[in-house]
Amino acid sequence: MFKYIVRRLLLTIPILIGLSFLVFVFVRTLPGGPGIALLGERATEESREAIERELGLDKPLVSQYTTYLGNLVRGDLGSSIVTRRPVMDELLERFPATVELGFAAMLFAVAVGVPLGYVAAKRYQGFLDNASLFGSLIGISFPIFFLALILKYVFAVKLGWLPSIGRMTVTRSLEHPTNFYVIDALVAGDVAALTDVLKHLILPAIALGTIPLAIIARITRAATLDVLSEDYVRTARAKGLDPGIVDRRHVLRNALLPVVTVIGLQTGLLLTGAVLTETVFAWNGVGSWMVNAINARDFAVIQGGIVFFAFIVVVTNLIVDISYAFLNPRIRYS
Amino acid sequence: MSVAEAEAAELSLEDQSGLWRDAFERLRRNPGAIAGALIIVAFAAVAVFAPALAPHGPNQQVGRLAAVPPGPSAEFPLGLDQQGRDVLSRIIFGARLSLLVGVVSAGVGLTIGMVLGSVAGYFGRWVDTAVMRTMDLMLAVPQFLLALAIVTALGPGLVQIMVAVGIANVPQFARLLRGSILAQREADYVLAARSLGAPGRRLLLAHILPNSIAPVIVQGTLAMATAIIDVAGLSFLGLGPADPRLTEWGKMVAENAGRLESAPHLVLFPGFAIVISVLGLNLIGDGLREALDPKLKS
Repeated sequence: MFKYIVRRLLLTIPILIGLSFLVFVFVRTLPGGPGIALLGERATEESREAIERELGLDKPLVSQYTTYLGNLVRGDLGSSIVTRRPVMDELLERFPATVELGFAAMLFAVAVGVPLGYVAAKRYQGFLDNASLFGSLIGISFPIFFLALILKYVFAVKLGWLPSIGRMTVTRSLEHPTNFYVIDALVAGDVAALTDVLKHLILPAIALGTIPLAIIARITRAATLDVLSEDYVRTARAKGLDPGIVDRRHVLRNALLPVVTVIGLQTGLLLTGAVLTETVFAWNGVGSWMVNAINARDFAVIQGGIVFFAFIVVVTNLIVDISYAFLNPRIRYS
Repeated sequence: MSVAEAEAAELSLEDQSGLWRDAFERLRRNPGAIAGALIIVAFAAVAVFAPALAPHGPNQQVGRLAAVPPGPSAEFPLGLDQQGRDVLSRIIFGARLSLLVGVVSAGVGLTIGMVLGSVAGYFGRWVDTAVMRTMDLMLAVPQFLLALAIVTALGPGLVQIMVAVGIANVPQFARLLRGSILAQREADYVLAARSLGAPGRRLLLAHILPNSIAPVIVQGTLAMATAIIDVAGLSFLGLGPADPRLTEWGKMVAENAGRLESAPHLVLFPGFAIVISVLGLNLIGDGLREALDPKLKS
């Protein structure tokens, strides 16, 4: 097991180096080069040369790359050209909002998707099965921003049940030691604030969680169907075990293995979806931050954001692989 | 009938139950796939015959300029927009762009991915390693984000987003084709062709590729669906076609997102046009996957 984890960890290093190289090359292919990208097309020749010297762009490419990589390892992603603040600081400030949203979305997706897929498999080719299959197809056919707009329109504007934008009512005061608003409210012991924060979370979480829900439901269904036809399930039933026990101990436990992987693999999808969901709900997270950066052509932020997102995806894949090895001995020993 | 004729007749009988014929039979019995096919045929027909079907031009002003444009009426079934243009006509013309975007983006991804995947799978060794490790790197960046990054580099515009979404699709196709070719490369019929002296290029093009193509077709259909959604998303973020005369569904939703309260028809109709066309592609893709999956054959 230990050897497996070490090997898997070592495999991650070349991926991260390769990624940094890809982003490095990407920034250098921007039209007009990073100097123009930073200053805009109307920049004078002198100011362009000045900034390129400042950024070390007049040095040979190899030394540029090693400097870049060195900064990256120290967590230095450069500074935003709009706010002049270090990209890493802004990123860490906004990351909790995105994590909170992503976590809520995943909770929704798992809480609804797993039972739905399981029940669909138990009623294979019945009405419920077909309905959930078709429903999940509709789910993945919705552009996330459109779903977000509809939810906002129906539940916030028309019915007025839930707030339409932001993470908390603006007039409310709450200390933010962690920037995870749910945790902040819990720490403060402020029930009213907690309710308010949770209410703000519901619509964005549903918008962001719908596609993962559809995928999780389908995978759970497929995995359950696979397990239901296994010999050990037939054996367990044949020896007269209580059907409820067979379902829980034999079927569900084995069927959830692939689901764990899929949940991990949704991280990329969640981060991507966050870009659009946060825009619609004015959610102050990494996604809306990136969109603002794109509109302002703030390349330092875009570059830093992409490296960071990719890093998160690589790390979650690593965690998924390792947790999978814990859950499934067949992988551990291969 | 001579013996040779009888044998030929028998052979052609056997031909009848090939992979594709079986797949088609199964597809025909799948109501979801039929519904998907109908949606896509209708979608393509609307796109192709847009000038004949649309009651007005996409940019023709048929009503008055209005801050709060009128919703659906007998004269204008889907209402007007704030510049007095007919929403139905705009959606009909928008189908052209969506279809184009889906086909071109998936096509770009499929072509480049197929070339890279088959080269990697066929030649193996260091070519394989170099190509596939690059693909792994691209896969680490979420697809939409990769497309977003590429458009940021290329600048906003229709061609740029199609290229960006297409390139973001490359790694999936490359992986899929490589896997499929690796499986086929050692198959008996390939060994037979090789021992008969067929050159490498012929082996790849005439024997291995046609037999590896089924999963690629499934993936292609699903990639078209994702491409339409991704392009609409990029358009929503303001990175879509800059030309105001081009009608694109995602852009229509984006431009009117703020008017959802006063004029919901401006957002809902183009939005549902996206949902329905994507659903059609997903239904077909799903049906094809089931139809072509040899595991379900028995």
